[in-house]
Amino acid sequence: MNDGKAVMRANLKHFIGAGAFVVVLTVIGVLILNTDRLLPPAAAAQAASIDFLFSVEFKLIAFLFALIIGVMVYSIIFFRRKAGDTDDAVYMPGNARLELAWTLIPLGIVIVLALLGSRALAQTTRIDPQAMEVKVIGQQWTWRFEYPAYDIISTELVLPVNKQALLRLSSVDVIHAFWVPEFRVKQDAIPGGERLLRITPTQLGTYTIMCAELCGRDHAYMNAAVIVKSAQEFDAWVIEQTEAVSDDPLVRGQQLAQQYGCLGCHSTDGTVIIGPSFYQLFGKTESLEGGATVQVDDAYLFEAIRDPGKTIVQGFPNLMQPTTSAGLTDEQINDIIAYIKSLK
Amino acid sequence: MSKKTNFLSLGLVRGVFAMLVGMPLGMGLVTLIRLAVGLPAWNAEPAWVVGGLVGAVAFMIGVGSLSDWFKLAAGGELPEHPAGAVNGWARYFNFTLDHKVIGVQYGVLSLLMFSIAGLFALIFRTELVQTGLQYLNADEFNTLISLHGIVMIMAILLGVAAMSNYLTPLMIGANDMAFPRLNSFAFWINVPSGIFLLSSLFLGGFDTGWTGYPPLSVRAPLGIQMFFLGVYLFGLSSILGALNIIVTVVRLRAPGMTFFRMPIFVWSAFATALISATATQLIALSFQMVMFQRLFGMGFFDPARGGNVLLFQHLFWFYSHPAVYVFVLTGLGTISELLPVFVRKPLFGYRWVAVSSLGIALIGFFVWAHHMFTSGMSEFLRVPFMYSTLLVAVPTGVKFFSWVATMWRGKMSFETPMLFVLGAISIFLVGGLSGPPNAVVATDLHLHDTYFIVGHFHATMFGGFVFPFMAAVYFWFPKVTGRMFNERLGKLHFWLMFPAFFVQSFGQMFIGLFGMRRRIADYDPALGFEQPNWLITIAGMVIALSVLIFFINLVYSTKRGPVAVANPWRSRSPEWLLPSPIPEHNYPQPLEIVGEPYDYGLVGSVFVRIPSTAVIEEPVK
Amino acid sequence: MTSNTVSESYAHRLATNRLGLWLFLLSDAFMFGGLFITRVYLWGDTRPELNQTLGLIVTSMLLISSFFMNRAETAMAHGDRKGFLRGTLVTIVLGIAFLAGVIGVEWQIAPFGVSEDAYGAVFFMMTGMHAFHVLTGVIFLLIVWNNARRGRYSVEKHWAVEAAAVYWHFVDVVWIFFYPALYLIGKVG
Ligand code: HEA
Ligand code: HEA
Ligand code: HEC
Ligand code: CUA
Ligand SMILES: [Cu+2]
Repeated sequence: MNDGKAVMRANLKHFIGAGAFVVVLTVIGVLILNTDRLLPPAAAAQAASIDFLFSVEFKLIAFLFALIIGVMVYSIIFFRRKAGDTDDAVYMPGNARLELAWTLIPLGIVIVLALLGSRALAQTTRIDPQAMEVKVIGQQWTWRFEYPAYDIISTELVLPVNKQALLRLSSVDVIHAFWVPEFRVKQDAIPGGERLLRITPTQLGTYTIMCAELCGRDHAYMNAAVIVKSAQEFDAWVIEQTEAVSDDPLVRGQQLAQQYGCLGCHSTDGTVIIGPSFYQLFGKTESLEGGATVQVDDAYLFEAIRDPGKTIVQGFPNLMQPTTSAGLTDEQINDIIAYIKSLK
Repeated sequence: MSKKTNFLSLGLVRGVFAMLVGMPLGMGLVTLIRLAVGLPAWNAEPAWVVGGLVGAVAFMIGVGSLSDWFKLAAGGELPEHPAGAVNGWARYFNFTLDHKVIGVQYGVLSLLMFSIAGLFALIFRTELVQTGLQYLNADEFNTLISLHGIVMIMAILLGVAAMSNYLTPLMIGANDMAFPRLNSFAFWINVPSGIFLLSSLFLGGFDTGWTGYPPLSVRAPLGIQMFFLGVYLFGLSSILGALNIIVTVVRLRAPGMTFFRMPIFVWSAFATALISATATQLIALSFQMVMFQRLFGMGFFDPARGGNVLLFQHLFWFYSHPAVYVFVLTGLGTISELLPVFVRKPLFGYRWVAVSSLGIALIGFFVWAHHMFTSGMSEFLRVPFMYSTLLVAVPTGVKFFSWVATMWRGKMSFETPMLFVLGAISIFLVGGLSGPPNAVVATDLHLHDTYFIVGHFHATMFGGFVFPFMAAVYFWFPKVTGRMFNERLGKLHFWLMFPAFFVQSFGQMFIGLFGMRRRIADYDPALGFEQPNWLITIAGMVIALSVLIFFINLVYSTKRGPVAVANPWRSRSPEWLLPSPIPEHNYPQPLEIVGEPYDYGLVGSVFVRIPSTAVIEEPVK
Repeated sequence: MTSNTVSESYAHRLATNRLGLWLFLLSDAFMFGGLFITRVYLWGDTRPELNQTLGLIVTSMLLISSFFMNRAETAMAHGDRKGFLRGTLVTIVLGIAFLAGVIGVEWQIAPFGVSEDAYGAVFFMMTGMHAFHVLTGVIFLLIVWNNARRGRYSVEKHWAVEAAAVYWHFVDVVWIFFYPALYLIGKVG
């Protein structure tokens, strides 16, 4: 057995060489893995602590990569076999102290990393009691945003800057995920319960919410805008939205059909997206699964919207969920029916 | 033992015919039962599922895999050789008990599946070169990525089984696996499994990704049932194969082969098998529950009926996380096995490396929820799972540092297998180091379900499985075929694949950080991802080209390669004592283990002795 | 086909087989464990309204069958073929009675359907998977019984008998966990 120290002395020259290699590689690695250039601009308070963590991790990665690859490349260059040499190399079966070192040091590193990670996580989930609540509802393949405090329903998420927004995420059908790269944080919206996400936008501007969980055919397009406004502009928007409720049922119906994602599955021009088109729907004779036919009138439409599983249109999958329209009042459904009627 | 085997007598062909008969039978059965209980006669889902199951059984009967067991159940004796055993190339298409043949069967099927999955990748990658949809529609795209993922994973599991089947008995000095019939069964069940997986392409596909999360998978087209069925069968294969490996390693070691004298590969095969034999049950169960929700309307994952969608994810990842260590441990074992041979130095810290495999396997059982950091599971669970996940870095690190120490002051030579070993180390390092950012909850909130993850797992799987597998194929090629491969083509393969891989994986990680989500058929042109996506696609094609060269080399060298010398790599492992290719019953006499496996450079050391015949000795001058 | 590097004695083969069987049971236990977790996850501290008397009856039948299985195996080990056949037959009958109780009665009288809610889903899945194992156990025992009748086993060599017995006990032990999980734990919800 070789004594560790003796090996070390014999290796001194190589150690210095390889060490220099590792240092140079680390520097290059740190320069390349510069988080300022590798991440989209940060636009929320939560992003700051996450970005700090990214920069720590990337530096660590640069060093560890350099450590292993540096020594490996050094060995490849300096410890290659000479042509014609068939001897074995020195007999060096192991060294318990070294093994212990490279077990315990990484152990220490990961514990520190995990500590930093928990701290950052705590910062991203820090609660502001003043937070503004928004319900975020995901649905194949649209987003809907409800502001309980203002009685607003919107298809864009509008947030005041520097104020924490408490998003209550849920889904009416499959799993979706709320993600804005500039905010860094992500949370799945799942059927069967609300999940919370806190965001404090710090930069004015318009960003894109992307659905980050595969949710079927149009998952790639399940985007919505998030607009960060100053406090005054936000207030103005709230007023505009509350006043904008039209007294024309037809206009209200169109808005609702938009907001509740109906138009994601039903076209208004006769083409088939997922469900039957709304175009010329009213008054026509619809054949149902099971052989019956029905004259499309107000009562039928109401039922088809409120309880979609009850009658299934011939040739279509039973995809429309009762949860789709669960948030609609009877009046609102009548508004939508008025809108459908108008599509002639 | 006739040389001229006609096509129709091949087990594979008989199996497929039997399957073609069995499936309609199963479908008819369902239809009859439905008629009997007064339901509408035809319902595609139960018909295909039951048809598939009956077809799979019929296939196994047709192949001849069940005959011996039927005989046994009817009170007969197990024959030493199955009736009508064949020799020559035909045995590769037949039921056989020889673990080496089964190993090659696994390997060939693995490469076939790998090519098919790779081809799928090339197709959908071509779609991703530009924004907008050009060649595929969104449903086709989703089906292709999902199938790419699952077929690749199947290819990996087959490859793992190929290596552990061929090598484990040889390395511990056994003449076969503990349960040869079970071994053969475990291989053949993969054929219907593969057929089912691919058939989903023609049954509406499925748009859920390989993870099959409900409720999406509950609403997916019929194809998903075939996907579940396929996974179910290769899961069964995994369990039975793993069980066999464990028993073989525990019971059939040659005299003197203590656990700490086993070649290091056996350690990793053993650790792998411990995972496969247990955790696999949970993916089967989770998929079965979705199947039943679709077939019988059971409400496991329907919140409206008291179900819970997260339950599936817990069960699924309880297997599918440990599964990634199934993929990788065998590969890391291969690296540890080959490195000393080409460095001519002992494996540094053999015991530590051996035990670290068990460590990885063990910790791997307690980290599954790191795939669910954003899923909405209980908040308080996220932090403990972050700690446990990061802990895996420690035993993995032991391996890396030990490899580097093995290289230190060695006498390295760079034949093709060694190139792939070095490539594997550097690529797996990239993959492994991209793990901690995912494991740390705060940064995973950004990274989850982006191409960064895609980059992470391609790097771990290429470095942890694909490259070591290629190294293994080159290394043991002379053992299997008795011929040498073409070194120049081998090097060309490496020098195409290695850089192309880096372009692909770094490209994926790069766009992922900037906001490219996973599993999207189209992306916003405003994000400026077209160029990197184009590069990734080109890189994928270069990889495919290199694989094509690899295949050409294999086929050509099997037929025409120069006859290999007895021990071309001067390895100390016992399989090199035997003639190549190895005769059916491996060792003519029991081996005797008298030393340590990796004492390269220790003058006069001996690892294995065949009593009364030659001593395998290090050519110490 | 065992290795000739180690002695190919029946005893060695037997120990190998035993290890294989126990590993298989370990693996299967993970599946049952998964079902158990599912029950805890979805039902929490509630349980459905089930027929307690029936539950007690089927449970005791299964437990008693295990006793007879043990008797039968001991008989085989002592060369008492008659005793073995008798014990096994009783086990088989009790096993079938268990199946009849669970599938034939409990499934029909359960106050919920398969597709109604999580109670139905979990109850039918757990009892169904367990019943499937009981069924395979019964088939296994029938094969062993038939072979024993034809004198295929001896005092020294009766691995199949042992395997069938161990498997039967395993299925029994699973029920010892499932019975309280389904019938006893939690408030009726
Ligand atoms: C072979 C396969 C393989 C391997 C080996 C790994 C290894 C690791 N993986 Fe990976 N992973 C996958 C395959 C694999 N993974 C797949 C397929 C997915 C996606 C599944 C899907 O959703 O489709 C995934 C996803 C995935 C996630 C989920 C991401 C998400 O969806 O949000 C996470 C999160 O923690 C993770 C972490 C890790 C970690 C920490 C390791 C560690 O084991 C890595 C350990 C290695 C090192 C760290 C490098 C060497 C160590 C040193 C040099 C020592 C010093 C190091 C330190 C001190 C840090 N992986
Ligand atoms: C071992 C595992 C493995 C391997 C090797 C690969 C290899 C490749 N992968 Fe794969 N990949 C996965 C496992 C793997 N992948 C998994 C598990 C997923 C997740 C799926 C999911 O999200 O559900 C995934 C997802 C995935 C994505 C993300 C899809 C998305 O989220 O939208 C992408 C995108 O770039 C990709 C690309 C590629 C490419 C270009 C290759 C290339 O390296 C492929 C190279 C080509 C070949 C290897 C074929 C070569 C052979 C021939 C051309 C010869 C043909 C001959 C015959 C048929 C005889 N993969
Ligand atoms: C996930 C896609 C989807 C969404 C979202 C959706 N629908 Fe549907 N809808 C369908 C499908 C599919 C059908 C046909 C099957 C059926 O009758 O249930 C349908 C049927 C209907 C019908 C009956 C049409 C006919 O031809 O008789 C009406 C009316 C309707 N939907 C209205 C709505 C309204 C209003 C909304 C929004 C609140 C909505 N849908 C949201 C998919 C959807
Ligand atoms: Cu919604 Cu993806
Ligand atoms: Cu994982």
